[in-house]
Amino acid sequence: MRHWLLTSFVTLFVSFCNPMTANQCVQQGPRSALRPHHFPLSNHLITMPPKGKAATKPKATETPATTTSNPTTTNTTRQTASQPSEPTTVLERSQQRYEKTRPFEAARQQKGLSKLFKEDQKGWICDQLLHLTNRLPAASRSSLLGPKASKEIWWTVNGTNSIVRGLKHKPEPYTTWGTDRNGHDVGSYTIERFDERFRKRIALTALQVSSRVFRENVEREKRGFVDARSGREIIVTEREIDEEKVRRSKMAVLKKDLYGAITGRLAESVEWEDVVPIPHEEPEGALAAITYPAEYAEAMSYLRAVMTTKEYSPRCLRLTEHIIAMNPAHYTVWLYRAANIFALGISIPDEIEWLNEVALANLKNYQIWHHRHLLVEHYYPTISSDPEALAQFAKQERDFLIAILSEDTKNYHVWSYRSWLVGKLGMWEDEEELKSIEKMIDEDVRNNSAWSHRFVLVFSNPKYATPGKAATEKDEKVPQELVDREVKYAQSKAFLAPQNQSPWNYMRGVLVKGGQPLASVQGFGEEFVNKLGEGEEEEEVKSTHALDLLAEIYAEKKDNEKADLCLRRLAEKWDKIRGGYWEWRRKCLTQSETEKAPGEQVEEAEEGSAAV
Amino acid sequence: MVVRTKATRGRNRAIFIRKFPKNKKENMAASTTSSFPTSQEGVATSSQQNLDAITDDDFEYVDEEFVLSHSAEQQAQPEPMIPDLFKQPSLVKDDLITATSQLQDQTVEHCLPFLTGEDGPLDLNDYGLSKLNREKHIKFLKQSLGPLPGRFVAVDASRPWYLYWCLSGLTMMGEDVSSYRDSVIETARTMQNESGGFGGGHGQTSHLATTYAVILAIALVGGEEAYDVIDKKAMWKWLCSLKQPDGGFQVCVGGEEDIRGAYIAAVIITLLDLPLDLTPESPAYDGRSNLLTGLAEYVRSCQTFEGGISSQPNNEAHGAYAFCALACLAILDNPRRIIPSYLDVPRLVSWLSYRQYAPEGGFSGRTNKLVDGCYSHWAGGCFPLIEACLSPSGPGSEKNKAATGLAAAPESLYSREGLIRYILCCCQDQTKRGGLRDKPYKMSDPYHTNYVLSGLSSAQHQWDLDSDPLPLPNGDTTPSLAAVGADSVWNVFPYIDENDQIYEDSDRVRPIHPAYAIPQKNVNAIRAYFQGRSGFASTLGGE
Repeated sequence: MRHWLLTSFVTLFVSFCNPMTANQCVQQGPRSALRPHHFPLSNHLITMPPKGKAATKPKATETPATTTSNPTTTNTTRQTASQPSEPTTVLERSQQRYEKTRPFEAARQQKGLSKLFKEDQKGWICDQLLHLTNRLPAASRSSLLGPKASKEIWWTVNGTNSIVRGLKHKPEPYTTWGTDRNGHDVGSYTIERFDERFRKRIALTALQVSSRVFRENVEREKRGFVDARSGREIIVTEREIDEEKVRRSKMAVLKKDLYGAITGRLAESVEWEDVVPIPHEEPEGALAAITYPAEYAEAMSYLRAVMTTKEYSPRCLRLTEHIIAMNPAHYTVWLYRAANIFALGISIPDEIEWLNEVALANLKNYQIWHHRHLLVEHYYPTISSDPEALAQFAKQERDFLIAILSEDTKNYHVWSYRSWLVGKLGMWEDEEELKSIEKMIDEDVRNNSAWSHRFVLVFSNPKYATPGKAATEKDEKVPQELVDREVKYAQSKAFLAPQNQSPWNYMRGVLVKGGQPLASVQGFGEEFVNKLGEGEEEEEVKSTHALDLLAEIYAEKKDNEKADLCLRRLAEKWDKIRGGYWEWRRKCLTQSETEKAPGEQVEEAEEGSAAV
Repeated sequence: MVVRTKATRGRNRAIFIRKFPKNKKENMAASTTSSFPTSQEGVATSSQQNLDAITDDDFEYVDEEFVLSHSAEQQAQPEPMIPDLFKQPSLVKDDLITATSQLQDQTVEHCLPFLTGEDGPLDLNDYGLSKLNREKHIKFLKQSLGPLPGRFVAVDASRPWYLYWCLSGLTMMGEDVSSYRDSVIETARTMQNESGGFGGGHGQTSHLATTYAVILAIALVGGEEAYDVIDKKAMWKWLCSLKQPDGGFQVCVGGEEDIRGAYIAAVIITLLDLPLDLTPESPAYDGRSNLLTGLAEYVRSCQTFEGGISSQPNNEAHGAYAFCALACLAILDNPRRIIPSYLDVPRLVSWLSYRQYAPEGGFSGRTNKLVDGCYSHWAGGCFPLIEACLSPSGPGSEKNKAATGLAAAPESLYSREGLIRYILCCCQDQTKRGGLRDKPYKMSDPYHTNYVLSGLSSAQHQWDLDSDPLPLPNGDTTPSLAAVGADSVWNVFPYIDENDQIYEDSDRVRPIHPAYAIPQKNVNAIRAYFQGRSGFASTLGGE
């Protein structure tokens, strides 16, 4: 019913556009033959062989539509004249097909509708209508007009066999074929190259099918399925896994080749089969966004996934290693690695051995040192009751620390770790520790990190250090001989390079800790200062630190005049950059004349706060 | 301002020599006149007079000849006013050579040509300083906010820092960063974890450092929509889980405990007006303690025998941690009271003062280490807090017992001139790249750009603490129930040098709060917003 209505509608429509009836139209044909250069297209269509005869001809390989455009014998000369050259690219080939299968539309696009012959216009309208039905939503399309009905309409209107199965749209660059991984139009491929690509796609599909079968088998094995035929439980063999591995690497190559899709190591790995990665989520235009390298982005997406499920497993451990190799400053990965180590009960010495290599390769990294800290915290209880094992471990750690500090002598994080380790393993009395520090100071007497470590080693020893005492505070429990020894040590080093501040700071710190007056080193300080204030030429200062200390000593002895002279000379000549500071020290002197000396004041302040 | 050309400076002499090899001596006069038209006559006449003086090497003669005549002509212009202090190696120097002294000597050698104007840009002012190259630095920071190439994977865990460094640097240079509000909001959202706090990026564990950076970035762009990104309740719970029984904070769950944690926690608690109560899940929960209990004591435990502050107890004193310590204390209570109560101020001031080096003018981070532009902030930024702590209280206020005996700070405790010279001469990357740096021959980066500018800002301004310590209840000496230091009123003025100001007024950057390191108005705005929503009104919703 609908079919009939449509047919009449088409007929009416065509009649409306063109006063000629359908039959008249057929009869118009011969007239066109008079103008050899501008034949209406209808002409050769009219003379098309009936469909049934096409079977005798060799079937065209590409699309069935080509069969309808085979030139007839009568039109051979004309056809060859207008036939385009052999296509070089896929796009060209498709465009030629389009022109062949949609001659009316092709002609309209070329010349415009108004310039077409009336027959051709009619043919075009009919063509549009028939293809229009194809453009309707898929569901209604099939029921609307079948190929047979279309042909009938065509025959009714044009009196010829129809071209129903023409290409719908004119092929355009890029939009029709899409781009390859390099962003080139696939349509611009040569036929051979395109065929090659096509073969690869087929190969990929085949691999994907096999891979799917494998994955289903893995799933079946997991659920304990039984094979219906053999009656045995499904088992995925090693061989099958190996085959799958090969398959995946092949697939990765093909995918990369075809689409530029980089399947990372993990996505193609059988081991990560069951993990659904969580890709990096960030809105467009996020600030300081990093264009992550594919490998890093993939690894991170798997890390997010396993961290969400709190998975602790050997594969997670390997994943952390993989990420650390790419970004050793990633604190999240380090913490997760530690959690894995502890959850899996991995041997701590093994982990430390691995860590040593990473540390040597990344000297400035500090996540490594916190990781080591966590490892030792975890390991310590297992060896704490065995003094020998403890000593052995301490030695091992020290040897490594010495090695790494020889590369980077003032690495703050290494020294922090070392200081913590001394407390943790109780290395206070370990002579080797002090010796190795002495060796470092001998190598570079200006290595303040080594001096600082020495101070901690000597004065934080819980054997006599009072807990809770500030570092700049007197501690009565510190043995006198230690204070004397350390003052002597500092002095011997200060002689080597008097302007090196480290031993001066050290000595001052020791004196304060031991509760000794600074004046006890007055003679030593005066060795570096000659004829102060006795004239520009006469005056000799070998160490501004000595002068600074002397100023304090004189102030301590209430000799403010001398103290002021030291500070003045520092400000005027010897250490001008600290002019403001020396001025302040001088102001403190005069202020304390009415109140108290700064030294006493400080002690009182410390006592006040210690009570808090 | 006098603009000098490079021709008078040493480095060009070398270039000049290379231009005139021996065999081209005859053409010398002609070619010099063409390249230096201004000195045409001088060269022609004096070279004639001095021909008799040709000694063994005419090569050197040619060069000397030209330079002598050329500089003679230029002597009409005054030499830049650079004090000898910044032009010569230090007065007292040891003979013993070690690795440390070699590096130090090399650094001085690298810096001196920049300090004296031999290296660096052509345009110097009367004081031998180059201008702050705002345009290039702004461009550099803006680029650092843009998409970064793959090799930046190494900073994947520090991306929030990039937000703060860049936005803060831009703000100090007078840029309006509110246009970044939407992108900061979007970026921050992906970094926030449901369990509270911000990590370095999507799926990264929350960390105090990254949280600090994100919150400051949010405060910098401002606006309620931005503030609302922060899940305050989750933040509070997370902070409780980091609080340790000894008073300090871990930087992340399972992470290290150090003084950064103490400072950042104080910043977060006060900016977001978090409740101080501890959750029962907190490692420090004992029914009596709160988030601030023992925090000042922890800071105190980090002061070393040298007077400086270390990252953790028993480590070496380090500039960055000195700032964290002082700023943390300044947030907890009035600096006049709390700093002398917890730290040995004379030792600290001594150690801090020794961080400044001559002739470089910049600050170092530790004893016997090299100057680095970033310590302009870490060490330089301590001085406003120290000066506040030494400043006398107003009449009628509770007299601070601890600080008596210490004189008020003079006009400036450190050499502002030295620091400004180091920053403008040595820290600017004058190439197309822009940005500020550690020291000459180092690459600029957003970290150094921000902290060098922060240091410049504090050298160019003077901060006056306008609050006096409030009496404490029950005769306590320290506050344990509230961070009242955050309410301290600070007034800022441009620092006016009693001598001449060595830099151009246009090179003055904007001031930042001495403890929060962002402009005061941003601190006030975010605090006001969260104080206006006490408790968890904004996040509790229907609970």
